[in-house]
Amino acid sequence: MRWLKENSLALAFLIMFLLAVGGQAVAGMMEFNDQQLAEGAEPVSLLHYVASSAYAVNVAENWQSEYLQFFLFIMLTVWLVQKGSPESKQPHMAGAESDKDQQIGRYAGDHSPRWARARGFRLWLFSNSLGLVMGTIFLLSWLAQSVAGQAAYNAERLGDLRDPVSWGSYITSPEFWDRSLQNWQSELLAVLSMVVLSIYLRQRGSPESKPVGAAHTATGVEG
Amino acid sequence: MRTPLVVLVTALVVSACAVDTASPARAAERFHAALSAHQEEAACGMLARKTADKLPDPGQTCADALRELRLGPGGRVTEVSVWGQEAQVRLAGDTLFLHRFTDGWRIKAAGCEPVRDLPYDCEVDD
Repeated sequence: MRWLKENSLALAFLIMFLLAVGGQAVAGMMEFNDQQLAEGAEPVSLLHYVASSAYAVNVAENWQSEYLQFFLFIMLTVWLVQKGSPESKQPHMAGAESDKDQQIGRYAGDHSPRWARARGFRLWLFSNSLGLVMGTIFLLSWLAQSVAGQAAYNAERLGDLRDPVSWGSYITSPEFWDRSLQNWQSELLAVLSMVVLSIYLRQRGSPESKPVGAAHTATGVEG
Repeated sequence: MRTPLVVLVTALVVSACAVDTASPARAAERFHAALSAHQEEAACGMLARKTADKLPDPGQTCADALRELRLGPGGRVTEVSVWGQEAQVRLAGDTLFLHRFTDGWRIKAAGCEPVRDLPYDCEVDD
């Protein structure tokens, strides 16, 4: 029970993710089958649909943009600041910060992770592990989008009695960039909104907000 | 212990990714073989239903319509592209588009000529 409470945030998002991705599969299959019938083709099963490039490209294009959003947020907030935002550091803290501030090397405490006490490559890797993992997942998802997208696009083109295109042609096609940019713009707007609105607005009790009584000019303060 | 697992996973990935180009190629060749043998009824049986329904003019059968079109010989297969349930088979003398149904590949379009950046112009299509 205590374990559930201590992990309730991750669990809630995991459950919502599974429901949403399952719902996307069912709704996507119904839409796909509607199209199939209109084109004189046969409807497909749910299993067939979730293994199809049509489903894969829709999943991957959303994943890549989400991981890009968090990757950019993690990396840009190292150097860029926003006065008054709880999402930003204090302006004088911009940059990678000192070893003392980051509790690494000889400044590491008894409870610091082992690699925070290490030197050289291991310390560098651990110091950048969050950005590296988010950035890698972004690149892999984007690659998956391009591969699944090419397959789905070519199936559509063949259905329209047109020649299929190569992967190189696909990643320079308007279709690929339309899929990518339409997701990126919404993610970037959401981050912009969060950074700016949290200067002036509050959500009592949320660590993503400043305390209700904090000044609008207070930066890097989380409630 | 790990080697069989790696082999199994590799085999599964390869088989899942392997694209069957032989089946649509055979379907395209059989269609043209039927036409060459003047077995238009049999050729009609290889068409997708929407294509077969659209082909004849009023008062005409599908076989009559195919006979009237006098599609040229197909020749040997030069290239096959398969993406999802769709395929394009290029023969020396024709380009065909096929769709995979539960009973196998069927001809969606035949007698097709490329039109730059636009859909092929086909004698038989849906």
